[in-house]
Amino acid sequence: MWDLVEFGVDELEKKDVQYGDIRLSKISTEVINVKNGTVEAIKSSESEGYGIRVIDGGWGFASSADLSEEGIENTIKRARKIARASAKASRPIELKDVEVFQDSYITPHKKDPFEIGLEKKLDYLMDVNERMDIDDRIKVRKCNFNAWKTKKFYASTEGAKIEQDLIKTGGGLDVNVSDGEDTQKRSYPNSFGGDFNSRGYEFFEGLDLLDHAEETAQEGVDLLDAEQCPEGKMDIILNTNQLALQVHESCGHPTELDRALGTEASYAGTSFMTPDMLGELEYGSDIVNIVSDPTAEGGLGTYGYDDEGVKARKIDLIKDGMFVGYQASREGASKVGVDVSGSMRADGWKNLPLVRMTNINLEPGDWSKDEIIEETEKGIIFDGIKSWSIDDKRLNFQFGTEAGYLVENGEITGLIKNPTYTGITYEFWRNCDAIAGEEEWNLHGVPNCGKGEPPQTMQVGHGCAPSRFKDIRVGVGKW
Amino acid sequence: MVGSRETFEKISEKVMDKAKADEVEIRIIESNTALTRYANSEIHQNIGQEDIDISIRAVFDKKTGAASTHSFREDSIMDCLSKAETIAKNQKSDPDFKGLPEPIEMKSARENYVKRTADFSPDERAEKVSDIIEMAKSEGVDRVYGAFQTEAQRLFVANSKGVNRFSRFTSSNLTTTAIADWDNDQGFGWSESCSADVRDIDHMEVGRTAVKKGLNNMETKKIDLGEYDVVLEPLAVKSILQYMDMMGFSGKKVQEDRSFMAGKFGDKIMDERVNIYDDVSDPDMIGYPFDYEGVPKQRVDIIDNGVANDVVYDSYTAGREEGKESTGHALPMPSPMSPLAMNLLMDTGDYSYQEMIEETDKGILITRFNYCRPVHPVKGILTGLTRDGTWLIEDGEIKHPLNNLRFTQNLIDAFNNIEGIGKERKLFAMGYYPAFFTAPALKISDFNFTGTTEF
Repeated sequence: MWDLVEFGVDELEKKDVQYGDIRLSKISTEVINVKNGTVEAIKSSESEGYGIRVIDGGWGFASSADLSEEGIENTIKRARKIARASAKASRPIELKDVEVFQDSYITPHKKDPFEIGLEKKLDYLMDVNERMDIDDRIKVRKCNFNAWKTKKFYASTEGAKIEQDLIKTGGGLDVNVSDGEDTQKRSYPNSFGGDFNSRGYEFFEGLDLLDHAEETAQEGVDLLDAEQCPEGKMDIILNTNQLALQVHESCGHPTELDRALGTEASYAGTSFMTPDMLGELEYGSDIVNIVSDPTAEGGLGTYGYDDEGVKARKIDLIKDGMFVGYQASREGASKVGVDVSGSMRADGWKNLPLVRMTNINLEPGDWSKDEIIEETEKGIIFDGIKSWSIDDKRLNFQFGTEAGYLVENGEITGLIKNPTYTGITYEFWRNCDAIAGEEEWNLHGVPNCGKGEPPQTMQVGHGCAPSRFKDIRVGVGKW
Repeated sequence: MVGSRETFEKISEKVMDKAKADEVEIRIIESNTALTRYANSEIHQNIGQEDIDISIRAVFDKKTGAASTHSFREDSIMDCLSKAETIAKNQKSDPDFKGLPEPIEMKSARENYVKRTADFSPDERAEKVSDIIEMAKSEGVDRVYGAFQTEAQRLFVANSKGVNRFSRFTSSNLTTTAIADWDNDQGFGWSESCSADVRDIDHMEVGRTAVKKGLNNMETKKIDLGEYDVVLEPLAVKSILQYMDMMGFSGKKVQEDRSFMAGKFGDKIMDERVNIYDDVSDPDMIGYPFDYEGVPKQRVDIIDNGVANDVVYDSYTAGREEGKESTGHALPMPSPMSPLAMNLLMDTGDYSYQEMIEETDKGILITRFNYCRPVHPVKGILTGLTRDGTWLIEDGEIKHPLNNLRFTQNLIDAFNNIEGIGKERKLFAMGYYPAFFTAPALKISDFNFTGTTEF
């Protein structure tokens, strides 16, 4: 494939564009969904094509699956035509200077998930599904396996030449239960398909779905008779599966520099964390440290280089509670005068790279979860994503989880259903008073982050440990 | 490439000849998408995408396998067939699978394909965007944002039982957000327009509406939380219909007790003026006349004069109910989301937008919602926030703009509390699959606001 990519770069250089790059990808996916004892879906997909970015008066991007020199030539022609049209309404574009690499990267893994026989994976999922069949009130029991493999070739008119082999694996299980009056859902290890990492089949094996099938199903049934979440203000403890989403929505998105500069204003929205607040905004309490880290071992947002050739690097977003950094592209970094974060990524070959979260991680603290519970007089532990919503500047949020556990006088005293909590981002993080330590820190994968027009879906990671937030409003809405 | 029906039929015949499976289906989706995005009154992203997605389903004795490729090379397509067959052989048998759909006669269908839209150029998009930018500037608004998208799609579906369908459509969609700035204050305004024919997009009207809303939406005030009458513009109603669709209108969700429609058929669950139906043949609608299995789309009257009447089916979910036929609402299979209503319409009423405002003593006017999510899908409870223009109505007049508000509301209750339905409805592109909805404005009482934000 390098022949085609190099041909394209040569052609771009001949056209004397201000900048050009080509990203050719071959993406393989495998999905196995088992539901109520039968296979809902098994699908193997392959997708191969390339996207070409040029600056030629303005930005232009064109993509195609035509893997021929003629196809490359035509796509460059389209990208340049688009760029020249952009020039009718754009200002001069500058890209921040970065080190140019010629390198390769392979996701560290032990077992290639595509080399494991379909029968083995299917038999395992059928066993898991059967293990969940413990009660007539379970109407839907699902489990799934997912794997992605991407071979990516990137080259630019600046001389970058990078080859990457990325592997991602994961899965999960969930039940929907109903007694005719109420309906509830419970999942393991997280909602919306489970958990995912940049690792091989060994990650899926490590999830140990079989061992968690029965207890997850039972808790789903128990939720039907659980007490409704109380209303009021109290301390809340977020387990890592929910805290990962809290970090995603209330820190990951607002620290994307493109949002802060308004380039997503008409779709996903903007950010309350504007450039004038950099270094000034007290985002959280002084124990809150949040980083963007595409080098984190196993993270779903882990890779060697981003889609504009920037080497993966760890940067601070929130340091000792203060807002100190952005996730930034070369263009954005040049506009604002900040460092690039190495987080420009595109969904497949067909889409334009955007600033996307990598692994946005809340650094561990020095508590244990047991200590946090023991020192909580009255509160709720939230577990398992169910509902999430936040305003277009990322200030007012409301989350609901599958299950809640009431804490009274330092002990868990009961299961509650339909738990919800709401707040304003910076007030919420300023009320963070306890973060568990490294031994309880978990790096979750979120495979469905949406952004951009046309919509792109990105795989991102979030590491965190159970944490407590003081005096938060819970139990929203009429039930 | 731009494939013709004949091109796709040739490759289909080769697949059928080579296939060893009992049944085989080939589905080809070819798309050409062009989109110009603008922000801070300049074009910042501008793209052209060409893609072809070829999927094959193979069936051996109630065992199905599926594979797909994005290459139109014959060797890639045959490799795709081989993978689908290998998967099917290693599959488990599904007793509920009744086979691929049989061919059904389809009435002649309107094709929503407009060559002018397919040929619309980057220069033309840039010119329209420049017009909006200049107009906004002349009104004192230096920052407009949005996207101008045109798309042409072709769908071909054939199977070994004789299904052979081809159709194509075009769509164009323009959005504008205006952010008016004055003395450290910001006012947000929004407008959009969608049509199969790009010539129907009045770009200046879209721009002017957004700018006007932005300028009228500064110096927002907070309001006490609680229940209010609301006047929802069509875009806000579209969001509600979208989540009703996802939470309730699928035959699969009813079968699995995951729909608010389950157990309610024949019951009046909403105001008697509410009629919601899926009908791609409606003159206001855009879409393919058949689904991704090649089954002709039927009109489905989902809410009929407020009564829970029916839901949509694909061939698999229809096969699980005695006497039920697919209504032609399959997504690209296999899909956990299928079936899905993708051409949803709500009947209009007899209220003008102005009458809705004039007849409101105290209420809230809402342009659109942001980031809606189900809180309890089976109870029909949804949360979300207002966005890009929210105003207080008092004594029949718009008084002043409000900070955006969060609602947490049972949608079924809300559609029982309808006080008025708008005379006109508007078409919206949903941004996923070729899904398009129409919605009128609504006036609803006792809408529950549970939070507010800072702008």
